[in-house]
Amino acid sequence: MRNRTLVRWTLTAILCLTTGGLASAKDIKVLSQFPMSGPVGSLPEFGMGFIDATKYINEELKGVNGKPITFFLEDFRYDPTVEVANFNRYAAEHAKDEFLMATGYITGGLKPLIEKVNVEEKIPWLDGSYSTEIFGPEGGPSKYPYYYSLGATYADQIKVLMKWVKENHKGKERARVGFVYSPTAWGRDGTPEGIAYAKKIGLDVVAEIEYPYTATDATTQATTLRKAKAQYILFHGFSGAANYTALFFKTVRKYLPEATILGTHYTTGPLPMQIFPDEFNGYVGAACRPLMDGVPRAETPMTNKMVKMAHDFAKKNRPDDYKPGGKIRDMGLYADGFTYALILHEALVRADKAGALNRAGIKKALDTMVWDFNGLFDGKTFSYKSHTIPMVRIFKAESKTVEVDGKRVPKGILHPLTEWIDTDTVKW
Amino acid sequence: MMMDLLQALGSGILVGMVYALLGLGVVIVFRASEAFNFAVGEFLVVGAFLFLVFNSALRLPILVALPLALLAAGAVGGLIERLTIKPLLGRNPISMTIVTLGLANVLRSLVQLVFGAHTYPFELRLPDIKLEIGDLLFLSEALWAAMLSLATFGLVILFLFRTRWGVAIRATSESQAKALAFGIDAGFILFLVWMVSAVCIAISGIVISNFGSLSYVTGIVGLRAIPVVLIGGMDSIGGALVGGIVVGVCEALVGAYIEPRGLIGFKEVAPYILLLIVLIFRPYGLFGTVRIERV
Repeated sequence: MRNRTLVRWTLTAILCLTTGGLASAKDIKVLSQFPMSGPVGSLPEFGMGFIDATKYINEELKGVNGKPITFFLEDFRYDPTVEVANFNRYAAEHAKDEFLMATGYITGGLKPLIEKVNVEEKIPWLDGSYSTEIFGPEGGPSKYPYYYSLGATYADQIKVLMKWVKENHKGKERARVGFVYSPTAWGRDGTPEGIAYAKKIGLDVVAEIEYPYTATDATTQATTLRKAKAQYILFHGFSGAANYTALFFKTVRKYLPEATILGTHYTTGPLPMQIFPDEFNGYVGAACRPLMDGVPRAETPMTNKMVKMAHDFAKKNRPDDYKPGGKIRDMGLYADGFTYALILHEALVRADKAGALNRAGIKKALDTMVWDFNGLFDGKTFSYKSHTIPMVRIFKAESKTVEVDGKRVPKGILHPLTEWIDTDTVKW
Repeated sequence: MMMDLLQALGSGILVGMVYALLGLGVVIVFRASEAFNFAVGEFLVVGAFLFLVFNSALRLPILVALPLALLAAGAVGGLIERLTIKPLLGRNPISMTIVTLGLANVLRSLVQLVFGAHTYPFELRLPDIKLEIGDLLFLSEALWAAMLSLATFGLVILFLFRTRWGVAIRATSESQAKALAFGIDAGFILFLVWMVSAVCIAISGIVISNFGSLSYVTGIVGLRAIPVVLIGGMDSIGGALVGGIVVGVCEALVGAYIEPRGLIGFKEVAPYILLLIVLIFRPYGLFGTVRIERV
């Protein structure tokens, strides 16, 4: 009888604990948006990396300290309207104590959501935007407390490049720099700050040219730069527009063979090497990640732990896409998506460990985060206090076309020219 | 100052020759059927991709790859005519024009299906003939583009004016009914015209891709054909040449002198403004046939 009572009480206690636990356990819901179709549908790698990382997070890292994350994955077709509408829908459909984080991709989506995200919802939002307007001195944590960027602003990237020019220019006269950018929100972003900084440190800004996405030829731009005797050309704002980048490089290299072409994160990758390796040779670019591929992929240095991890991961999860000729043409983008998910996971884990797995707790975890990103920046840590991952490194392209079995193929690599630079600590 | 002007004019003329060939591809179809081929951009992309397949994928030398690509482009043009245009023979030309709008979408999707949305490297390996005189520099790619376009333009004129088929094409252009009465197979002539048009447009596509790279987006250049043929005259072969050069020079001058003053993107709009001005004074274009229609 005594035993039976004991068993009964034990079972009741277990049942209470279990059901009680279930009743109080909240889902961890995250909305993530990236383009898999639309104008940049040719670059689905970011989404692939992110999707693979979500599996890794839930299956191998066991979610947030054992609690799985429900990821809502949306292809927003590179359309800010879709990005905004998706967020509004999820925010309306899910409770604030379950829908804990959101990620976006472009500035165009951030701007219409300023009020909604930062004032109404107060939900931490990680974004692929490097917008100076949002994350620079005029914006930043004081103005947009819930927005976080995954890289240094375009202004900081350009300033790092201008500083490099200043420090490495050989010649008694001042270095002559021409600015070429796309007449788009992101092409114009960071350019005025970059020009002002170039002038401040004593560079001669000899040309400012807007080069449209619809160009059939780039002779006008090239002749203007030649006339201005530009020695350095900052080319900015053509992410995803490989056609116009190729046209510009192929033309300008012939009109100004001695000039150094500089560029920002999205030009510093393997795609230009795959498309115009000879003209890309000598390019000097800023990048926020060390994740770019070699061409062919086998040339990629695997000394960085995260680079190797991303490659191993892609090989394991998407063997056909990873192969030469497969859908993953730019491992940098894949790894961007992959690491994007990892930082999101890190914030959730830290908030949970602090006993505050809610929006405010996640924000606190992000604001106080000092992390080496699993060795992504060769052991250097970064702080998220500026709401950007402020790390930038300058790379130089060494690429050319070679003959392999009678076929002309591209070959090249981006070599680091500097150490990782924490732009938050640079005295501009 | 003078050098800048010469550079702009020269560059404009060189690229204008390519536009002229593009315009010719549209004009000959219009002359034969009174239909405007809105799929010109997609024909351009298909032609360039065919060259890429023969030259890069199959590793054929340029002297083999180029003729094969043009033959294939012509075959595609002919096939499209058989499938989509021939059934409309004798109907209102507007029907054919509308069909080409749909055709543009189908071809664009097919290109993406087969080649993806990626950008491909493109290289037309020809001897370097760049022209450098003092501060003037004309790139080899632009010079080859202009020469190939001009040569093709000349060959098409020879074909139209010195061969029996050419005479038949011109007769059909005048009146399909009369041509049929004279025993000319108007159906076959239309087939031939679409083939020749596809070849012209393919050459434009190949030389334009050689400036940079190739993807389905390259087809946007096809839009340049609109001001070219409307300025020159929809049914005028000579007008296509003049229209092409006018549009090329207009773009170059605007790019050199107006855009740097802050009017970015004006280069794209300028040919259409010029077109409006031309149409105000000459509604049928500079060299188009004036038609008097009694209703």
